[in-house]
Amino acid sequence: MADPALPIPISYVAGSYFLFSIDAVTYLRREHHICGVLSGTLPQIPQQNVFLGLPLKLMPEEARLLVEKGVACIVDEVKVQKDGMRALMEEDRKKYLRELESQGEHAMRVQTSRKEEQREKALKKIEEKKAKKATQAAELPQPQPQQEQLVADSPREDPIVDLFADDQPGSSQTQPSASRTSTPAPFGTAMGVTPATSYPPLPYESSAEQRLPLPDVPSSYPLFAHLHSEGYYLSPGLRFGCQYLAYPGDPLRFHSHFLGVSADWDEELNLMDIIAGGRLGTGVKKGFLIGGAEKTAKGSNIGDSDTVRTFSIEWAGM
Amino acid sequence: MADTDEAAIHQPSPDSGAHIETDLSDETQDFRMLNSISFLTDGSQSSLPKRGEKDFEPNPTLFQADILSASRQAMHNALSYPRLHHPKHHVIGIYAPNGPTPPRSAQTLDTISEESQPKKPAGTGLGVPADSCVYVSTPKGQLFKTIGQADRWNRIWLLPEEALYLLERGSLDIRWPCSEVGDGGEDETQDSGIPMSLQAAYAAFMGRSGLTSERFSVYTGLRRLGYTITRAPGWYDEEEGADGSESEQAPLVRQQGAGLAGIFGQFLQWLYKPEPTTALGPVAGLGFHRSYDDIYRKLSFIPWYDPAAVPSQSRTTPPYRIVFHIYKPSTPFKKSAPPPPDFKIAVVNSRLHTTFPTLSQLGSLLESTPLDPPTEKMSRQLYMRLRHGYRNVILAVVDEGVVSYLRIADSAFGKEKIYQEVMRGNFGLKGDRRKKGCIAQPVLTMIPEKATRVCLPRNKKAQISTE
Repeated sequence: MADPALPIPISYVAGSYFLFSIDAVTYLRREHHICGVLSGTLPQIPQQNVFLGLPLKLMPEEARLLVEKGVACIVDEVKVQKDGMRALMEEDRKKYLRELESQGEHAMRVQTSRKEEQREKALKKIEEKKAKKATQAAELPQPQPQQEQLVADSPREDPIVDLFADDQPGSSQTQPSASRTSTPAPFGTAMGVTPATSYPPLPYESSAEQRLPLPDVPSSYPLFAHLHSEGYYLSPGLRFGCQYLAYPGDPLRFHSHFLGVSADWDEELNLMDIIAGGRLGTGVKKGFLIGGAEKTAKGSNIGDSDTVRTFSIEWAGM
Repeated sequence: MADTDEAAIHQPSPDSGAHIETDLSDETQDFRMLNSISFLTDGSQSSLPKRGEKDFEPNPTLFQADILSASRQAMHNALSYPRLHHPKHHVIGIYAPNGPTPPRSAQTLDTISEESQPKKPAGTGLGVPADSCVYVSTPKGQLFKTIGQADRWNRIWLLPEEALYLLERGSLDIRWPCSEVGDGGEDETQDSGIPMSLQAAYAAFMGRSGLTSERFSVYTGLRRLGYTITRAPGWYDEEEGADGSESEQAPLVRQQGAGLAGIFGQFLQWLYKPEPTTALGPVAGLGFHRSYDDIYRKLSFIPWYDPAAVPSQSRTTPPYRIVFHIYKPSTPFKKSAPPPPDFKIAVVNSRLHTTFPTLSQLGSLLESTPLDPPTEKMSRQLYMRLRHGYRNVILAVVDEGVVSYLRIADSAFGKEKIYQEVMRGNFGLKGDRRKKGCIAQPVLTMIPEKATRVCLPRNKKAQISTE
């Protein structure tokens, strides 16, 4: 879990903010309480929606907060890719391909050894069962060959690597083996690899003309920044009909406590909205929270989270 | 009534036995739960982990810190899992930044024979959508049964969302073409050998030909659940949202005014200018009434909306347009001749559209869908019929990657003559009660029906199929 170099580039693609580097995702979550929303498919279990993978989608508020803190910068990813690939030198390309190939070979080796291990384990189990059965009684010897067949088939040919081992072939810490010749590996000895990020071959640092200004944020940004500065983890609130869900700790381990809705200081609130929010919040064991930036005498200081006041509403009659 | 409602809220959260009803994807799951899935050994495993125990709030104990860091480590490991392609299943696609083009061999032939021929716009004449931007020469695997479109050189062309989805799930290796890479030459269809990273693929495909991140979230979310999903005509903002299927419908008797909005206006008119008859005498009129049916028929003078009537062909406004057709995994799907879709979806970005659609937006959206009346099976179930409606559409509301689905159906309360149902005895009323005539239900027919039902689709937690 290497800490990424700062500022972390946030990819701006088609109006959305994405993170593609797992190191950046883990770092921001751990150090800056920025969780985002995982929106990609997990390649190891692609047919489900419970656990999702990279890329991580950031709300504009989150992206802005990180840029204001100086932790990240917004990068025009389309431009970076186009310019970067065009500018790629022959030498870099070859080096990159060699690197990928060695990763692929490594992955292949890991997989085959793991398969071998599983096979051995399965065979051992069968042996044990056989021995057990033999000691008990030799009444039903038929199912055994079938079983063996089944187990022999079971190591599937899907890309299976050691998921939870530390030496991830795709992660950053694997270094290409030192003495690798440039001749292509014989067919079938290396896996194809689709890397998550584009560096390498592209440079990690972005040039000034690839950077974008601060993200546009909705008027609820002061509330977002305020709650974040108080240590809350925030996520989009659509599921509970609010703007932000505020978690007291990492959402991996804690339930959310507040349904946050932002309002302008002089905004007239519909009483029904407060009642509906209060009842809903209390019904799902959360507080309904309204907040906004207080108007100061100095006038407009939008985005100043110091002047935000928040009110929590609980439905007492239930 | 209120008491039972509140009691329901107060019930303790369902314990482990009743977890089937809670949607696990609704909240962040502890990635340590992934450890319990034995997908590494058995691909047919379909059970997903149970909801993990979460704590109420952080406390400064080492115990809690350890669990949290274990969770994060599990998440880190799960997310850093590489996308690998075994040589046996390695499917290679090539990015074509300028849309579908004939292969190089065919191109050179063309230029030899007709050199002065002006360059044709991309995609025409190849039989594939012009928005396609990745082709696969040797498609392998189940997924291509429902994804992509073949040209006459047997290459499968993929739309941006299809290519991105396949790459994201680790089923496709997309390569940069030579023309986009350094000094690799000008050929647009030649494989440069450099694989596209996930990051590069997002930059290349997201935002291309109307693919927003909201639409992509809906696309992948449903694909992951096993649905087949294709673009609908409403995808393209500049085009007319209504498709040709409307004109095929047999013209039904237009009982009432036009459309949902029209009937609302009629109702308002009726409110302001009440029928003079009500002031002059009994609402049911004078004279002999030999059956209750007669009376009820006379009583139902409030105009009502018939969703089965011919739509007024009003223009749909983006984003309230059908952009996806959805097919259940059980529906036999043929790429060349797609069957009528099981569901129609419009995608709404909740950040841009913060209010519920207006009646006219919703009305024209519903009118752009084909008539889907209640089936024969529901002929005896009044509430099923009302729930199902005559036209329906699913609104996918997306808030920064979080998707909620709402099913909107055009219910026809006016078409359900309760008094007739009662006469047929469908309500299970005892015969003697009917004779006495103590029937309260017919009041329902008096409700002016502009009602549009909104309910969550039941299919959201559909089967989780593993490959």
